[in-house]
Amino acid sequence: MALVELRGVSKSFRKGDETITPLDDIDLDIDAGDFVSLMGPSGTGKSTLLNLVSGIDRPDSGTITVDGTEVTKLSRSKLADWRAANLGYIFQTHNLIPVLTAYENVELPTLLLKLSSTQRRQRVELALEAVGLSDRADHYPRQLSGGQEQRVGIARAIVAHPKVVVADEPTGSLDTETSEQVQILLQRLNKELDITLLMVTHDSDAASIASRQLMLDRGKFLERGGDKEMGRQGEREVGVGNAGDSVAIKKFG
Amino acid sequence: MFTYVLKTLWRHRTRTLLTVTGAAVAMFVFCFVGSVQEGLQRLTTGSDADRSLIVFQENRFCPTTSRLPEDYSRKIKEIPGVRDVMPIQVWTNNCRASLDIVVFNGADPQQIQSTRPLTLTAGDWQSFSTQRDAAIVGRNVAQRRGLKTGDQFSIGDISVKVAGVFQSTVPSEENLIYTSLAFLQYTRGLDAAGLVTQHEVLLTDDADPDRVASEIDAKLRAGSVATKTRRKGAFQASTLSDLVDLIGFAHWLGYACVGLVLSLVATTTVMSVQDRIKEYAVLQTIGVRPLRAMRLVLTESTILCLVGGIAGTALAMTALAIGGFAIGAEGATIAFRPSIGLAVTGALVSLAVGIAAGLAPAIQAGTVPIVNALRQA
Ligand SMILES: Nc1ncnc2c1ncn2[C@@H]1O[C@H](COP(=O)(O)OP(=O)(O)OP(=O)(O)O)[C@@H](O)[C@H]1O
Ligand SMILES: [Mg+2]
Repeated sequence: MALVELRGVSKSFRKGDETITPLDDIDLDIDAGDFVSLMGPSGTGKSTLLNLVSGIDRPDSGTITVDGTEVTKLSRSKLADWRAANLGYIFQTHNLIPVLTAYENVELPTLLLKLSSTQRRQRVELALEAVGLSDRADHYPRQLSGGQEQRVGIARAIVAHPKVVVADEPTGSLDTETSEQVQILLQRLNKELDITLLMVTHDSDAASIASRQLMLDRGKFLERGGDKEMGRQGEREVGVGNAGDSVAIKKFG
Repeated sequence: MFTYVLKTLWRHRTRTLLTVTGAAVAMFVFCFVGSVQEGLQRLTTGSDADRSLIVFQENRFCPTTSRLPEDYSRKIKEIPGVRDVMPIQVWTNNCRASLDIVVFNGADPQQIQSTRPLTLTAGDWQSFSTQRDAAIVGRNVAQRRGLKTGDQFSIGDISVKVAGVFQSTVPSEENLIYTSLAFLQYTRGLDAAGLVTQHEVLLTDDADPDRVASEIDAKLRAGSVATKTRRKGAFQASTLSDLVDLIGFAHWLGYACVGLVLSLVATTTVMSVQDRIKEYAVLQTIGVRPLRAMRLVLTESTILCLVGGIAGTALAMTALAIGGFAIGAEGATIAFRPSIGLAVTGALVSLAVGIAAGLAPAIQAGTVPIVNALRQA
């Protein structure tokens, strides 16, 4: 059983008279330890998909199961608890709390878990170390560079040892060099800490570091040739977002 | 998480300071109004107000116009239920309502010492009872006028030597100056030899005050001057009736102050939450429960309100304690004193208002549509 399972997930938005349905009967499996990148034209519903997986938004229909928990069934409050324990969210604009130091920002998620103060300190220090910012612990976000801020954001996302980390264009507002550093960091987190990652990006270089590359276009997933198991090149359609098509997404093989 | 609230307040310290100051000023006024209400309350209730009677000339209101024979006290004493009668000559510098009223009560020094609930904080009874122009001064008057033992104090045609300063369990009494009866009767302009303004009647424990009052009036109807006898509390309330209306109205001012603090703190908190609505969306994305987000907002508003409210209350208590304020008219005064009850009320009101002020923004923060808030630039 996959770590993350989406089954028949649909989501539409109303804008006045118009209804936009970026996700229409989508299926997707992500295995534990996967590093999945998700690309696609603007407005196709990539962020929407991340928001559904992280439970900060709800699908109109379909189910999302993460590690056996059907998150689509949880109440808002239960979802918050679930996220605290199981999910890390890396924002494009890092969204650090400006009045808190790097250390305090990273500490936030641990305050929601039952941990001793020693365990808490250890985790925060390890997370800051993992992103190479131990020496910036006492700095406020405004005293950090964009890349450093993003790394604090990443430390905050992994500090609680979540099962899944989602990242929405984590390198979207960084220059090429900083962007590369962050990509390498994410790859290391995936390989060394075995964190399951789902990353949305517009940058094909960033996408290429992932172990599995998906394209989302007009409600369909396309698996790109980065698939290491298959070793094939080019794009192929792996799913069609049509209602009733229950096995729309599956890995080849 | 508490750090987050404190640091947020500190980040916007100008706004925080302005709000806290506003809350402090409003709670200061609230406590002041409350203390006036309490003073009035004390004047009309309590054993001193309920268990003693004042015999005054019928249809007279200002102390200068009530002139009763001094020997009425002998007749009053014969009535069953009367324990003691103290003839009192009253002199005041101002018959109208005033914030700096000076009221002299002339009575027999021994009787004052034995019947009034006074303790001297300075000076001694001996020099008060032996010197003709000696006076003992209530500590409120002493504070207000800067009087101490040995001072000579003159006002109008009266000039007295301060023989002592007293405090009393009846706060309004601390606005009085006691002299001997004869001294006040022979003051130029009063021409009150053999006459007094009023008789204060102390009742036995089992006496019915209203029955005794009507018996007194009935008995003295045969005398040269008709009287009107009332409980001391009722007498003072009717003497101060204009002020009582005004003070009754002033309690609206107290409510207005509470409303002011509420709207002030609510405005600040709403602004603060709206400014940072995305932060609350981020916190909830991290896993902060909606209820916890609400608690954070409530903590913020409560801190603002409590800090301001307690500062204002403390200032008011200090001002009331050292100011010796009183308002009076026609020889009766209302003392404004600090009290534990008032301090506790001030703190509780601040707490309640703090929570109330945070409710709307707390709900806003707790129910924020996470995705929409995150999409905001
Ligand atoms: N809260 C919302 N209300 C209305 N429409 C929305 C809302 N959220 C998303 N949409 C619409 O849904 C579609 C998908 O949006 P989404 O943000 O998921 O796209 P995206 O693939 O992440 O795009 P980008 O690459 O530009 O970030 C868009 O057309 C968007 O306008
Ligand atoms: Mg997006």
